[in-house]
Amino acid sequence: MVPDAGSSFVDRLRELRQTRFGAFVPVLLALAAIWSYFGLAVPFWEYLSDPDADSIRFIFLSPRNIYNLFMQSAVIATLAVGITIVLLLGDIDLSAAATAGVCAALLGVLVLAGVPGWMACLIVMAVGIVMGAAQGLLVAYVGIPSFVVTLAGLLGYQGLMQKILPTGNLNVGDPFVRSIARVLIPDSWGLALAAALVVFVAVMSLRRQARRRERGLELDTNLAIWGQVAFFAVLVFAAVITMNSYRSVPLMIFLLVAATAAVGWVTTSTPFGRSIFAVGGNAESARRVGLNVRRVRVAAFGIVGLMAAIGGIFGASRFGSVSYTAFAGGSLLLESIGAAVIGGTSLFGGRGSVWNAILGALVIGSLGNGLDLSGASAADKLMFSGAILLLAVAIDAISRPTGGTAR
Amino acid sequence: MQPAVTDENNSVGHSVPPSHLRVSGVHKRFGGVHALRGVDFEVARGEVMALVGDNGAGKSTLMKVLAGAHAADEGEFWMDDSPVAIGSPHDAAALGIQIVYQDLALCENLDVSANLSLGAEPVKHGWGFLPRILRPIDDLEMEVKAQEAINRLEVRTLKSVRAKVEGLSGGQRQAIAIARAVGAESSVVLLDEPTAALGVAQTRQVLDVVNRLRGTNHAVVYISHNLRDVFKVADRICVLRHGGNVATFNAADTTPDEIVVAITRGLDEGAGNGA
Repeated sequence: MVPDAGSSFVDRLRELRQTRFGAFVPVLLALAAIWSYFGLAVPFWEYLSDPDADSIRFIFLSPRNIYNLFMQSAVIATLAVGITIVLLLGDIDLSAAATAGVCAALLGVLVLAGVPGWMACLIVMAVGIVMGAAQGLLVAYVGIPSFVVTLAGLLGYQGLMQKILPTGNLNVGDPFVRSIARVLIPDSWGLALAAALVVFVAVMSLRRQARRRERGLELDTNLAIWGQVAFFAVLVFAAVITMNSYRSVPLMIFLLVAATAAVGWVTTSTPFGRSIFAVGGNAESARRVGLNVRRVRVAAFGIVGLMAAIGGIFGASRFGSVSYTAFAGGSLLLESIGAAVIGGTSLFGGRGSVWNAILGALVIGSLGNGLDLSGASAADKLMFSGAILLLAVAIDAISRPTGGTAR
Repeated sequence: MQPAVTDENNSVGHSVPPSHLRVSGVHKRFGGVHALRGVDFEVARGEVMALVGDNGAGKSTLMKVLAGAHAADEGEFWMDDSPVAIGSPHDAAALGIQIVYQDLALCENLDVSANLSLGAEPVKHGWGFLPRILRPIDDLEMEVKAQEAINRLEVRTLKSVRAKVEGLSGGQRQAIAIARAVGAESSVVLLDEPTAALGVAQTRQVLDVVNRLRGTNHAVVYISHNLRDVFKVADRICVLRHGGNVATFNAADTTPDEIVVAITRGLDEGAGNGA
């Protein structure tokens, strides 16, 4: 796997993608580029061009802004994690944002009617699963392409949301629902959690290595193991310390990471997750080894519905209200599909990871946030987002092992 | 037109091994097309039985009937002399019959070990409270099994069972597809044109793997157009023509020319072949 001295840049990129953390590389590069542009280049340029300024002001990279960035990206990330699951199958879900809107509206109506907050949350999560799985049934058993089914779902659920919220707006004051975005995990707990996570990951990789040696399997190099642990530690501690230096880690971010970890574990480490990748890679092969391809599809759409419902709850909690434009009518859908794709999940199925979707959501969120800070118009924002999406897909196509020309 | 297959018509000599899988009088019609007209066929353990014939002779149809992909209209099936029914791929798999299709049907986005245990992943103990599909995969056990399967077939060029299938050569992929069929508790392996798309070195690699299946006491059915490959691996050669048997030859006692005549003209017209 060592690249030859003469191998081209594209070859090296491909080899990089083959390593375990390789899939993170393009999206991390994009994130680093966007952050250094808005965080470093823009302030320097403003400082140099403005003789009255007495010092450089790093607004974008300030802990306060990073904190807001995480909160802004959380709803997109939740939906993107769900959408990643259907993208892995080679399907698409255009109705995720509308599903989130219906769930959020239903949540608002339920708590207004006096249903306890926790019960309302559980109810809308169940509703989300049903809404997703219903579309999955149509895709798997009736054989309608997912694009069409979920396009119909998008329209239908948008209408349903307007029926639930005739005024288009509803305040959510329930203390339980609000607490998801408001409760902060104390600084010391956040650090302790981060440390515990890093130690857990380190111990698990060492135990795994020991068991590999026991069974005579090929071993990972020590560099690779410690590199992975160090990489993970840097990410976790950087995020926690940054958020601590403004406020603390919000409960919502913790819940998002926990939900993603659960979905990520299911997709990579269980027979069910393996069958999702198998169906996405070669549905005929999956059918021949006896997997129930239809049931896998329905379950995957159910998971999207669940994640959309959770996204709806997060949104209602963060804004303290439910509005038509914040969910179904706005740009949430395209941003979350964009986040999943920028994260490196292939639209052709079989390749991708839910963690990348979170990084992709950060890319989308950073772009919007940075352009807002530098006073760009909505038109600029749209065009920049389009360019970044294209760039991400181009990187994915070029660095694909089979090559960009094969498709 | 339809040759009546009798014992003397089968030019197999003294050393016919006891059959493991045997079918007789198999008929299969697709609408008006009579694809199989009373075919007899058998294969023994530790034997490579080649199935040859011109296009449309019924090779692939017979293969699919054996694998349960097509249900036969008529015909009797025996495994080790007890009558069985093969109506679906599930039936065939339960009897230990595995087929390797020409398109291999591997998941290119998964690694070798995942492909080898796809659909039957080993799971860790102690998670009984979860449904089986949500228990953690014991991926180390999976790798051990994959390594064993690869070692058994001596696929030397494969460096790691953790390599993704999309990075492998055609011969390696074929070997992995065969390893998957062999690994699934099977006793009969059906190979459909395994060397059709391969170069010289890759073909040799696959033929080596097929030869090794004899050592693992599998009953192998090998469909091919390439008589040179057939003579390299086969113990017996069954020739089909127009959906019926022509004859079954011992590979050691016949020549490619004789087989070509049997394939193209059948025995009646191919005078002087001694049948």
